[in-house]
Amino acid sequence: MINNIKKLVKDFSLSELRGGLKITAKELINKKITVQYPEEKTPISPRFRGIHALRRYPNGEERCIACKLCEAVCPANAITIESEMRDDGTRRTTQYDIDLFKCIFCGFCEEACPVDAIVETQIFEYAFVGSRDGNDNIKGQFGSVITKDQLLEVGDKNKKMIDQTKLEDSKYK
Amino acid sequence: MADIEIEIDGNSINAKAGEMLITVTDREGISVPRFCYHKKLSIAANCRMCLVDVEGAPKPQPACSTPIADGMKIHTQNEKAKASQKAVMEFLLINHPLDCPICDQGGECELQDVAMDYGSDVSRFTEGKRIVADSDIGALIQTDMTRCIHCTRCVRFGAEVAGIMEMGGTGRGEDMKIEPFLTEGIQSELSGNMIDVCPVGALTSKPFRYELRSWQMNAVSNVARHDLVGSNIITQTYKGKVKRIVAKDNESINETWISDRDRFSYEGLSHENRLLSPQIKVEGTWKEVEWNVALDFAIRGLANNVINTHQSDKLGALASNTATLEEFHLLQKILREIGSENIDHRLNVKNLDHAISLESNIKLLGLEGIDHALVIGSNLRLEQPMISHRLRKANLSGASIDVINAMAFDFNYRLNSENIISPNQTAATLAGVLKSVLGNAHIEVPDYLVDIEVSDIAMQLADKLSQSNNSVIVLGEHIVNNPQASSIANLVSEIAQHTDSTTLNVSATANSMAANMAGFVPGKDGLDVNAMLAADLKAYILLDVYPQYDFHHSVQAVEALSSDDTFVISLNSFKDDAVAQYSDVLLPIASFYETSGSHVNVEGEVQSFAAAVNAPSDTKPAWKVLKVLADLLELPGFHYADSAQVTSEIMHQSHKQHAHNESIDVKVKRGINVIWQKSPYAVDVLSRHATSLQATNIGQINSASMNKATAKKLEVALGDEYLGVPVAINEAVANNCVFVNANHSTGVQS
Repeated sequence: MINNIKKLVKDFSLSELRGGLKITAKELINKKITVQYPEEKTPISPRFRGIHALRRYPNGEERCIACKLCEAVCPANAITIESEMRDDGTRRTTQYDIDLFKCIFCGFCEEACPVDAIVETQIFEYAFVGSRDGNDNIKGQFGSVITKDQLLEVGDKNKKMIDQTKLEDSKYK
Repeated sequence: MADIEIEIDGNSINAKAGEMLITVTDREGISVPRFCYHKKLSIAANCRMCLVDVEGAPKPQPACSTPIADGMKIHTQNEKAKASQKAVMEFLLINHPLDCPICDQGGECELQDVAMDYGSDVSRFTEGKRIVADSDIGALIQTDMTRCIHCTRCVRFGAEVAGIMEMGGTGRGEDMKIEPFLTEGIQSELSGNMIDVCPVGALTSKPFRYELRSWQMNAVSNVARHDLVGSNIITQTYKGKVKRIVAKDNESINETWISDRDRFSYEGLSHENRLLSPQIKVEGTWKEVEWNVALDFAIRGLANNVINTHQSDKLGALASNTATLEEFHLLQKILREIGSENIDHRLNVKNLDHAISLESNIKLLGLEGIDHALVIGSNLRLEQPMISHRLRKANLSGASIDVINAMAFDFNYRLNSENIISPNQTAATLAGVLKSVLGNAHIEVPDYLVDIEVSDIAMQLADKLSQSNNSVIVLGEHIVNNPQASSIANLVSEIAQHTDSTTLNVSATANSMAANMAGFVPGKDGLDVNAMLAADLKAYILLDVYPQYDFHHSVQAVEALSSDDTFVISLNSFKDDAVAQYSDVLLPIASFYETSGSHVNVEGEVQSFAAAVNAPSDTKPAWKVLKVLADLLELPGFHYADSAQVTSEIMHQSHKQHAHNESIDVKVKRGINVIWQKSPYAVDVLSRHATSLQATNIGQINSASMNKATAKKLEVALGDEYLGVPVAINEAVANNCVFVNANHSTGVQS
């Protein structure tokens, strides 16, 4: 009985409507947070896990030593590595493929890497071109399986960004 | 065996007094970390990793060298034990590089495993680490001596098992290095086992270097078919390819060791010379075709040349000794169903009238218990490494070993006497031995021995055999083509009988015991291999035959097979010019490890194995090809679903005994005698294509050894070639004898 009366009063006083309009009014005055993508972009954490890249040492030598720990740790079995002894006697990959359809961007590969060779960059704006292996003739484009050369290219092109983010994150490691 | 009772971690355990503590814990499944201890090697107790707490002892004791005593109380897991193990681990890691990511041992490394349990996260060692320069020790083993933890397993393996102490520790303390004493590389035929015993990545497989991680491969148990032992192995495969072979424990066959030939021959599987597709010869040129076309062609050829013309006795089958039991059985069954008895596998025998027939009646394990051995005509160490190893073990525990050879070979144990006798005199010498043996036993001498003069050597050999309780006579490969081969075998059998000795016949190679078991020998009225080649047959089925290597009369063989009206079906795993010359159809078959089958070893043990990988490309397992051939020929009784059904059929059939020559001829022959033998790593087609094996010192053995006097008689000198093989002047060879070890085909065999 008493509840019914309460409800009647609430309904006829439009209190809920006024409550909603209050938020609208407040947001009319507040600073806008809408980001006009792609003209504008949100800030990205240094730990963001975007497209992969293979890094090099300052002298230009590729870091990857074909230890295959990333391949072993990958929960989606997205990484395929073949290795052999290079002519100078060092252990190197002959193939380093990441199937981006399989990849779940968990970042385990990066964590497993003993030489910080494979990293995930902040780049998330990319597209697969062509079929599985993409078109190698067009620089900077790749298919759903990204190959060693393409990974190294991503690394070379974005060296500054990768170095910067790794530096920022290093104190938490 | 329960002599005494000890207490380990609070549980009482029965054990034998005097056993080492680690043997007890291993048996009971109690884990004690260790590096230097290996069950087949002597105890060194130098790594100190197995320290455990023994109540009453002031300090922790190494489990590997602590004999147990009644009432002993041991703690393997208490604080004192753990603390000392952790301390040892920290010391071991001081100089061990942190290069697990590029180390081939990573993932199967004992140090890595133990460090996970006993190591600390952070090293307290801030000083510089030790670096040791590598030495090149040959084509098979890769060294990374910076990783060495000085457990000395490889050193002890060399000294105790291989019998050649090639690795050793030089320097002391931090300057200690494990290195080979010589710069020529490791020479042992068992060297690959050092890779297995090394607990870290200091010694790893060179052909396998940097290719794969241990966790990427599938492991399949298998049997090696290169010798008469049938060593148990594990084939490790990746994406349908055999990538590495390691030993599998089997105490009664190969213990924990395998020979280098068994370990590294797999490289040949991916050689470019593999025959990968069926081919037929049309008007003199080879054409790649589908299987059904090739099989039809083969069947038509057989029908035209043999079956429809009712001359089934004009069909012959020859097989190499490396085929499986099932393949031998199916091929002989096809021939016998068609109506031909021309079946043979003894391709390398010059004269089969003198074929050796001698039963082996000793087990491999039994070889360790002998007190005397007489080895006749064998370079045992390189021909049958695992049998030689058993004899060496017997020798180390006191057995005496006498040798009768045409050349002084390197034996890796001390011989009681080494008698270098020309092959022409071997029979006469053994006759002397028999006469002397009979004399010792006061038995009347048969007529053929009356005129024999007993030399001092013969007398000594006979005395030794008569005196020992458990002796064995080993008859080796060099006797096969001795003009008196069958007489020698018969003499051996007589001697053994009168001295209560056992016999071991290692004159045949690879899987030839299986060929005998399957009845792959000429039947009644059947022709043997040499008779076939002379008889102008109309058709042949050849199983993995490479004439220039396999036949004794290789030139005649190629000629006979090349004859225009002879139709030759070749089932081969590798391409070969001579094969291409005479064959009409080439059917590509699976090689070692690609087919299921069985191996029969010298003691008659049948070991079946499954295929480790699928046959590559268009090749098929030979037993399947033979089955389909039989089906197409509409022969009855070939309904097999798998090779195991073939095996069981063989097990249920009675084994055919083939006739043997019982006459004994003991006259000393005249003239120069050639012992022709393939080099140890050229014995079968797979080893011949294994590049790393061929690059070793043993793989490069290629010489016609003779002494100066013989060379003068033959009018050759150093730098010349004899029978297509470079001449080596060696006074260790008996007079009037040429010992040829060829690692390539020359097309000439005496």
